[in-house]
Amino acid sequence: MATATTTAAPGRSEAPGAAPARTHCPYCALQCGMSLAPRDDASALPVEVSPRDFPTNRGGLCQKGWTSATVLRATDRITTPLLRGADGELHPASWDAALDVVASGIARVRSEHGRDAVAVFGGGGLTNEKAYALGKFARTVLRTANIDYNGRFCMASAAAGANRAFGADRGLPFPLADLGGADAVLLLGSNLAETMPPSVQHLAGVRSRGGLVVVDPRRSATAALTGDPEDQGEGLHLQPVPGTDLVVLLALLHVVVVEGLVDEAYVAARTTGFDDVRRSVMAWWPERAETVCGVPAERLRHVARLLAAASPSRGGGGAYLLTGRGVEQSTQGTATVTATVNLALALGLPGRVGSGYGAITGQGNGQGGREHGQKADQLPGYRRIDDPAARAHVAAVWGVDPETIPGPGMPAVTLLRSLAAPASPDGTGGGPRALLVHGSNVVVSAPNADRVVDGLRALDLLVVCDLVPSETALLADVVLPVTQWAEEEGTMTSLEGRVIRRRRALDPPGEARSELWILAELARRLGSDVAFPTDPAVVFDELARASAGGVADYSGLSHARLDADEDDGGPGLFWPVPAGAPDAGQAGAPHPGTPRMFLDRFATPDGRARMVAVDHVGPSDDVRPDAPLYLVTGRVLQHYQSGAQTRRVPELDRLVPAPFVELHPVLGLRLGVGDGDRARLTTRRGEIEAVARWTDRIRPDTVFIPFHWSGEGSVNRVTTDATDPVSGMPEFKVCAVDVRRAAGTQEVVA
Amino acid sequence: MTRVVVVGNGMVGSRFASDLVARCGTAAGPSAVEVTVLGAEEYEPYNRVLLSEVVAGKVDVAAIGLPGADDTRVTVRRGTEAIAIDRSARRVVTGEGAHPYDVVVLATGAAARVPDLPGLTDLPGGLPRGAHALRTLDDAREIVAASVNARHAVVVGAGVLGIEVACGLARRGVAVSLVHGGASVMDRQLDRVAGGVVARSLAGLGVRTWTGARTERIVVESGSVRGVTLRVPDGGAPAGPSARPGGGAAGAGDDATRLVDLEADLLVLACGTVPEAGLARAAGLAVDRGVVVGHDLASTDDARVFAIGDCAQPPEGGTGLIAQGWDQSRRLAEHLAERFAAAADGRGARRPGAAQGAAPGRPRVRLGVDADRPSMALRLAMNVVARPAVPADPGVGARATAGTDVVRVKAAGLEIVTMGVCGERRAPDPAHRSVTLSDPASGRHVEVVVADGLLVGATCVGAPDVGADLTATYTRRVPVPADPAHLLLRPVAQAPAPASSPTHMPDRTTVCTCNGVTKGDVVGCWHDGARSVDDVARATRATTGCGGCKEVVCGLVDWLAKADPDQARVALGA
Repeated sequence: MATATTTAAPGRSEAPGAAPARTHCPYCALQCGMSLAPRDDASALPVEVSPRDFPTNRGGLCQKGWTSATVLRATDRITTPLLRGADGELHPASWDAALDVVASGIARVRSEHGRDAVAVFGGGGLTNEKAYALGKFARTVLRTANIDYNGRFCMASAAAGANRAFGADRGLPFPLADLGGADAVLLLGSNLAETMPPSVQHLAGVRSRGGLVVVDPRRSATAALTGDPEDQGEGLHLQPVPGTDLVVLLALLHVVVVEGLVDEAYVAARTTGFDDVRRSVMAWWPERAETVCGVPAERLRHVARLLAAASPSRGGGGAYLLTGRGVEQSTQGTATVTATVNLALALGLPGRVGSGYGAITGQGNGQGGREHGQKADQLPGYRRIDDPAARAHVAAVWGVDPETIPGPGMPAVTLLRSLAAPASPDGTGGGPRALLVHGSNVVVSAPNADRVVDGLRALDLLVVCDLVPSETALLADVVLPVTQWAEEEGTMTSLEGRVIRRRRALDPPGEARSELWILAELARRLGSDVAFPTDPAVVFDELARASAGGVADYSGLSHARLDADEDDGGPGLFWPVPAGAPDAGQAGAPHPGTPRMFLDRFATPDGRARMVAVDHVGPSDDVRPDAPLYLVTGRVLQHYQSGAQTRRVPELDRLVPAPFVELHPVLGLRLGVGDGDRARLTTRRGEIEAVARWTDRIRPDTVFIPFHWSGEGSVNRVTTDATDPVSGMPEFKVCAVDVRRAAGTQEVVA
Repeated sequence: MTRVVVVGNGMVGSRFASDLVARCGTAAGPSAVEVTVLGAEEYEPYNRVLLSEVVAGKVDVAAIGLPGADDTRVTVRRGTEAIAIDRSARRVVTGEGAHPYDVVVLATGAAARVPDLPGLTDLPGGLPRGAHALRTLDDAREIVAASVNARHAVVVGAGVLGIEVACGLARRGVAVSLVHGGASVMDRQLDRVAGGVVARSLAGLGVRTWTGARTERIVVESGSVRGVTLRVPDGGAPAGPSARPGGGAAGAGDDATRLVDLEADLLVLACGTVPEAGLARAAGLAVDRGVVVGHDLASTDDARVFAIGDCAQPPEGGTGLIAQGWDQSRRLAEHLAERFAAAADGRGARRPGAAQGAAPGRPRVRLGVDADRPSMALRLAMNVVARPAVPADPGVGARATAGTDVVRVKAAGLEIVTMGVCGERRAPDPAHRSVTLSDPASGRHVEVVVADGLLVGATCVGAPDVGADLTATYTRRVPVPADPAHLLLRPVAQAPAPASSPTHMPDRTTVCTCNGVTKGDVVGCWHDGARSVDDVARATRATTGCGGCKEVVCGLVDWLAKADPDQARVALGA
């Protein structure tokens, strides 16, 4: 096997004609394996993408992956630092000048408003090394409590639910390929056929056995995999009223309980809290659930029986329950995850080979990004920042006094909402005055985004690290150009908890630098004596030490080990991978990693999974006479997140160039909004416009808009920023909306 | 500290205790509450709605326990019957002593109505053996036990409960006759046509239905039920399988009716309920059918006494549905919590922004939800439509929530849901527009009633998908389609029929979703020289995502090869 780059020193790259770099796609958490072959042809893209056989993608790539190299040559790529001048425009500047402005700005805000007035906003696309360094920078150099990241928008509820139940949160605590053998897979609020298309391969087995059940208010591409609605050949699609997935789950568990389908032996041996949960679901008999969620009672019973029949205790081939953003981005997202976990536990699925519960992580490093300390309440290794032992351990690695590490800060939505908020008369409670943004485009991706823009504009200092002039970067006082995927070394942790290597295939353009270097320079300028290495391999080694003994233990890993493993044909290692041998019998052999978690015990103090009774409350912004429809949001295959990358790829942009609103023809006829008309959508936050698309794949009481755009069709300008009380995750996925034909379009004749 | 005594530990009383403490923020301080729940039964609260499912053998009787209030502020006294409410001393008297209160909430529920029939109520010591109401866990247990040896069961009353029980017993293999005084079954909710459709379905499930039938007497031998004598309209025949009147004295009646004797060794009475309002009556409070309360659920005679659930008679009338009781529980809990908090704050007004508060920099707090022990306060459906049916007067607790009158029958093989304006006895209203789809041969009957662009009522038999959609439309007040007839059928999912041959497939049909490749793209690359699936994949990336389109691409390549044989031969080097 060809030897690829291992630990290329910063600033040096492969000579043209070198072996292709074995790396992974820049986009989603599937982290499809790909090779990047350098090309000499100056007119073409700098590297040629080809898929690799990797366990998640098995040689497949979607259109985003195939075209990912185009982003490397984005025509508006930022190649020098930019400073906002007296004329209000951004102008190129030297690194020294830009970093001096940032450092002096931070120092000034800090002296005038205190340490917490400087805030950091990170991203789930950053490498593990960058996420770690960012958290360390916030806690040791800025010493601010206020660091959080856009993972709060996607994984916080799944994380809170899994941590509460299992004592650990690894999105899929099993290899994705395990799905292949199951008799039933229940997908709740995940449209993976569009968000991570190559993953559909893993559903082939369950589809052939008629066991795929998809819960989604839309007949999405994924829901359509369940087969023809009439013959229900490959599975079932439940199409609940938006915001009522929790009711579906409570009813499913109700049926499992009253029909005696509980895995009693498992529940007795491996869980606590079942009695409370059992009683709580008694209030949700299927007929009552039907009146709330709109799914016929008999279909609920059918699904409950199907899941039970697939469960190991009843001799089935295994069952998986999987949640996605559709059910998690809700003010009852944590409760919904918990209800899913409760159902899984009652059926005896988690911690059994071939069965389980999992959350399908979205962002490229959405898993690693939530483990290494860029979360408001967390230190590296998935440690809690309010745990004295965790603080002592991490402080020792960082070489600081534990007392100097701040406590928990504000979660993302609260943080963004409080930007530049004035202090109360006694001088307390003021919001951050300076914000550093890394790997996130909050102007498009945050809920109630117009309010976020107001906050960003009111800051004393906004610093954005980005590849391209994203909508957020365009508001910044200072923009710092950074490296992207094919230009850097590091590690990512996939949706399965597999730690994998990202490798450099070419030099970054112009003066783009890694965030690792930027943070080191800022630390120096701010007078910190805490070490900030810039070599990703060295940063990883420190991260590994900091994680040792934590929930997400990487201490047995290094770039060198990951490289050697891959050279031997290994596709990465699953955390936890503690340092040292797994047991005394295998002296010298390193820990092999943990493909399947919880087989013997859960990561709770007593080793048992916690079942917690939860209940349905409903959406925070529910339909009302002046907004009688539900607005749901989601993605399209061609675009990724805020679209900052994919909108710059002509092949993708051409296919889906603008937002659109999907509505049912019956609704369109009533509203007088024809197929192709412009529709105006009004919520409590404001109004937007988009072109109407008629489709019968959506409930007639619901409209859908994808969220990848800024401007007048940017749906997150009108989504609600109400949050889940446990996880702080915003309710992107449902709010009340009024829909009308936009002025100036022809009336449709019904 | 406010002392609240709840009389009744059933589905509504126990729920109310949870609802209230979930909304009363702190465990200490002036706004704190201390709740005492008095339950006459020794049992923990259970789900009475599921008793018919227990009879049907679909639900294990041990499984139907409901959550109790798990909170130090709540004391539950099971097996403690309230004997009197001493309003002047503000205390509830029990056999063991007295419980002082600041507020008392009556949630005593209702008892099964036992009709005064010869043979039924003239025995000392209660009902004859074999005769049961279905109201309590014990009733359900006894019916299940009796059904083991029963051969013929008669269910009196074809309302919702009667129908559920009849189907349940039939499911257990008992021959069931369902006897109803009204002209058609479930006539409170169904009109005569819909009732007829249901009767046909019941027949298919093995239940014989007698409508317009008066129960004359219960035949009792040696203290056990042996039969039931009915007076039925002359010429009246039961709907149902092997309809054979029991071998009694038929035709002995007056002009238009005759008597029919039915064999029965199990008799279930499903003749409605009577609110348990004796305590209130004895305490001098206004009692009509139930305890008379206003929109604020307080007795019209005493502002410290509230009544919720089946024992109450609110201005809009009691429905006997749990949805109404749970809605009242939630509303009263919200009202009292605000009142207690306001009193503690020394203000008479409501706390501003209690529910909507989202001050900058402060996490939004949601009432009644706690991180690790979320409230058991289960808000029904309709919390989704938590807007008052009538605009709420300021200062008065929110009025009854619309949409709590959905009736959904639980019986395997029957799909019945009704809501709002429905049934035989509805008052005609010129503002209502009714559209009906009647398909009795297939057991389907759907009627929608629309007014002012909203669904105000519906009857749906034998169409579960439509019924579920109608309920969502009704409870959430989703405006109805321009033509309400669209509500009668599920909008058809027009999955594009697979083209019979690639010839008929439009060029813009997407073949490979993962890579956005159309049929036109595949044809185009064929013309550019691609001759195999691999060639097509290289040129268009079709099949290189999830691989799901491989078959279709193969088919296209084969079709192109046939349509264009010369090119194909060239490619093969022939």
